[in-house]
Amino acid sequence: MDMETMLSYDWGAMAPEFIILGTAILLSILDLFAPKQFNRRSLAWLGLTGIFLAFITLLGLMGQETVSILHDTFKLDSFAVAFKLILLFGSALVIVMAHSYEPPEGMNEYRGEFYYLFLAALLGAMVMASSGDLITLFVGLELLSISSYILAGMRKKNLQSNEAAMKYVVNGGISTAITLFGMSYLYGLSGTTNLKEMSAWMVGVFDSQFQYLFGLAFFMILVGLTFKIASAPFHMWAPDVYQGAPTPVTAFLSVISKTAGFAMIYRILIGLFITAPGDSMGAFTFLEKNQVYLAFLAGITMIIGNILALRQRNIKRLFAYSSIAQAGYVLVAVATLGGGTFLFDTVWFYLMAYVFMNLGAFSVIQLVTEKSDTEDISGFAGLYKRSPWLAAVLSIFLLSLAGIPGTAGFIGKLNIILGSVTVEPGHYVLASIMMGTTVISYFYYFGIMTQMFFRPVQGAGNIKIPAGISVVLIVCAIGTILFGIMPSLAFDFLHVNFGDFADFFAL
Amino acid sequence: MMESAWLIPLFPLASFLFLLLFGSRLKEAASAWVGMFFTFASFVWSVFVLFDRLQSPTYKAEAGWLAIGDVQLTAGIEINQLNALMLMIVSLISFLVHMYSKGYMHGDARLPVFYAYLGFFTFAMLGLVMAPNLLQLYFFWELVGLGSFLLIGFYFYKDEAKRAAKKAFIMTRIGDVGLLVGMILLFWQVGSFEYDEIFQAVQAGAISAEIITLTAILIFIGAIGKSGQFPLHTWLPDAMEGPTPVSALIHAATMVAAGVYLVAAMFPLFTASETALTIVAVTGGFTAIFAASIGLVQKDIKRVLAYSTVSQLGYMMLALGSAGYAAGIFHLMTHAFFKALLFLAAGSVIHAVHTQDIEEMGGLWKKMKITGPLFLIGTLAISGVPLFSGFFSKDEILVAAWQHGNQGLFWLALIAAFFTAFYMFRLFFMVFTGDSRKTETNVRESPATMTLPMIVLGVLAIISGYANTHWFGTFLGDWLVEGNEYLAHVHSEAPGWIMLAATAVSAAGILLAYFIYSKRAISRSWMGGENSTVYIALYNKYFIDETYQFSFVALTRWISLFLSYIDRFIVGGLVNAVTGTVQSLGRVGSRLQNGQTQLYGTIAFLGLAVLVVIFALTGRYFG
Repeated sequence: MDMETMLSYDWGAMAPEFIILGTAILLSILDLFAPKQFNRRSLAWLGLTGIFLAFITLLGLMGQETVSILHDTFKLDSFAVAFKLILLFGSALVIVMAHSYEPPEGMNEYRGEFYYLFLAALLGAMVMASSGDLITLFVGLELLSISSYILAGMRKKNLQSNEAAMKYVVNGGISTAITLFGMSYLYGLSGTTNLKEMSAWMVGVFDSQFQYLFGLAFFMILVGLTFKIASAPFHMWAPDVYQGAPTPVTAFLSVISKTAGFAMIYRILIGLFITAPGDSMGAFTFLEKNQVYLAFLAGITMIIGNILALRQRNIKRLFAYSSIAQAGYVLVAVATLGGGTFLFDTVWFYLMAYVFMNLGAFSVIQLVTEKSDTEDISGFAGLYKRSPWLAAVLSIFLLSLAGIPGTAGFIGKLNIILGSVTVEPGHYVLASIMMGTTVISYFYYFGIMTQMFFRPVQGAGNIKIPAGISVVLIVCAIGTILFGIMPSLAFDFLHVNFGDFADFFAL
Repeated sequence: MMESAWLIPLFPLASFLFLLLFGSRLKEAASAWVGMFFTFASFVWSVFVLFDRLQSPTYKAEAGWLAIGDVQLTAGIEINQLNALMLMIVSLISFLVHMYSKGYMHGDARLPVFYAYLGFFTFAMLGLVMAPNLLQLYFFWELVGLGSFLLIGFYFYKDEAKRAAKKAFIMTRIGDVGLLVGMILLFWQVGSFEYDEIFQAVQAGAISAEIITLTAILIFIGAIGKSGQFPLHTWLPDAMEGPTPVSALIHAATMVAAGVYLVAAMFPLFTASETALTIVAVTGGFTAIFAASIGLVQKDIKRVLAYSTVSQLGYMMLALGSAGYAAGIFHLMTHAFFKALLFLAAGSVIHAVHTQDIEEMGGLWKKMKITGPLFLIGTLAISGVPLFSGFFSKDEILVAAWQHGNQGLFWLALIAAFFTAFYMFRLFFMVFTGDSRKTETNVRESPATMTLPMIVLGVLAIISGYANTHWFGTFLGDWLVEGNEYLAHVHSEAPGWIMLAATAVSAAGILLAYFIYSKRAISRSWMGGENSTVYIALYNKYFIDETYQFSFVALTRWISLFLSYIDRFIVGGLVNAVTGTVQSLGRVGSRLQNGQTQLYGTIAFLGLAVLVVIFALTGRYFG
């Protein structure tokens, strides 16, 4: 590649990534050369500024024609922008959370490392959302994964944190191997790593033996990616890792890493297989024919997540299962293709709502577990007395997670359920499982509320809410309620700026 | 006036927000005044709206709320006859309960919180009864449930209250799932949540008969949960752990009537399916007698009233299931007044004697000169004594059941009316006549803030029946169906003997109660003495009681015991079986989660293998 081609690319499309990369490098240099007594906590604000700038730049890039650079390996289409908005916004909230994070044994020595590793992980997630090629997808995936492994073990002197990191690495290795093996099939069949070319080739394949190999690739990539979104059958790492990892990292894994996982599912599994023929006649597309497998995984995931959550006493483990269940709900939307016409809107809205409600909930969890010195849910007993505001906002988040009307979570669930019954043929079983397991989820979400409102106070003293956390809480609470009452704000935003995401499939 | 009806629920919402934010800084009395002021504003507005609706046609305003593709969901308000009437009932009773609570809850440190919750509940309930579509109704339906949860659990330091709150929430949620599924099925069929569009589709025959029946039944399941119908009724008696004003507001007059309201609002859907109507009628009729028979043996004053509420709601369902639209709503209205009165009067008694056990009460007639007569008015009304409101509305229901051809249910309802008269007067005699059985010396009449709302309700418990009588005119019934193309008002003469029969059974019930409980009350006071001769003399007296017991009461007692066993073991057993299964699944699952990371990988591999094998075998890729 000569200089001329290099310069001819529209690098502006990558500006948000460059900003994040630059900030990460700057942070690592600062961390390296700053004097020991320099309080690295304030580096969070620098990181936040970087994310903020990237967000603004991204908004500026919105509404352009699709830009594709570096031989179609990186593309900025409406899908990429929409998902990166969620990723950046969520990361901004997490970094503010992390600023206030104070584990019992302290973490001053590694606080600096935390921020740039965090930005590296975010960079990986953003690259995943924007990839047009298996290679870039994989690089993004690994950048996200490896940074996350280290982040999970950030509390070096804490045994559980070490265990979490170790388990995460081992399981992550397995999942990566499976994904990569699946990708190798696709490459072997099509002779290209470029998704656009691959898709164009697959459309014309009517040989059932080839289609069988498509199937192998599909399932291997799918199972590998279920690791990232923590759904069945690769969900079992989640409780152990969520419990051991520092709380901001847990929040990151449950929201941002999961969103990136869904972005990748869209890029590979939906993008390639939605048009590929599923039989020798071409009467069905591959995805139509094999929807039932996705539906099956979604059903199992919802059942496992919700039922196992019932028995948890540790709040972070409970939320691990809750986040497994939530991944199941989103998978329902993926499996039913969001009711056909709303392939992206439904999932995007749910993930956005999930950012608000889950990050909000984790902020309260971080604060309360630190102050109560226990991660048992009894630490929430009498929270209403200790801090009425904290109890009130956590209730909003829990109600939203449970899907009670008036919250963004309800609208998200309603969209998914309506989508799954209006699509032809309707997925009634899946919709019933979703409703049934939602009822089960009331038990544990309301269990926490019972603790907060109806139990005598555990642990002494009022809880002082740090300024950063209170900003996160206010933003999340407003978002949860606003999009619950006026969801059209979000949908209008999508329609105005992204149309119907038609450029996702543009060949 | 109707254009501004949307303000009505906003007043209590303002009260809720105000008290939530500034309540802790207010004095006790101030927060009560805030709550009363806002609900009174709601009430005045509702009265204006009701009068406006009497003269002008149905008002409906809507705005787009959410558009997904070409599906347009709307939000707005609708003031039809039913909604206008419900607005008035809900806001009036809410206001009276606000006022009553000022006296009843006096001295409670969390009074502002209490008033805030009351405001929240009132907001949700008022929003519910003016919704123009199912989705909006569902929205408020859930908020009402949340308000009820908070209020039942208000005494959260009591274990029973905590349990009752959770039970109420989850039991009604089970019903809500039915409603949600029914709603979504209708949406799938009609493409809209709007009542009007659904009814038009039903009329036009755009929906198959099976789907109509199915959705009607699913929606009725939602109503069963909220209105405490068999088999989802068990939460309602437990909900009596909440403060008594809450029981009067939520568990007598408003929220539990929401199920009846839902069936009434969806009535054209139900009338389109004879099966669905029959299910509503049978459930209602069975619940009416089932709960009434349990009411015969309860000893807690509020529980007796709770079972009677369940039973009366069963009556309303029976009326609706017998195509007696006006009869059901008429009874909803009269019941709201006299049952709220009974609960408030019961609260006044509890306030005075500090117990809920009727065995420990007695002789309060002389000491509570206002509460006593008011309680009697409520008792006469619910027993169906002529000239009181309950008489007229119950009569309408019996006529509806008879005319619809539900003769079996008609007789059940008549027996239930007998039971009702009996246990209500048992309650009255044990509480107010005879001598005090407990040495609570300092019994005083309640303060004016408590008696005044009761007096208002007492007046209404008498006169509200005259809104719809066969003697002076069926104003309410005519008005309710006026201009409604989906409802035809059946204007046929009722057989006169039904009214006589109803009067006869209630008189029989009252007399029986008088013989048993008035006498036993006397005997008990003598038994309390140490003198053994008197004791032996009394033993014979008691023997008469025993005869009654063995002849009349024993049978019903056995039936009610049998029914409560069914309730406890079969219904409860089913519930336990479901939760048990879920829990043991959880146990198995947790055992798998043993922390061994090898296992996690294995499970993932197994999952992959299973998927690929099934794919390969079912896909016919080989051979």
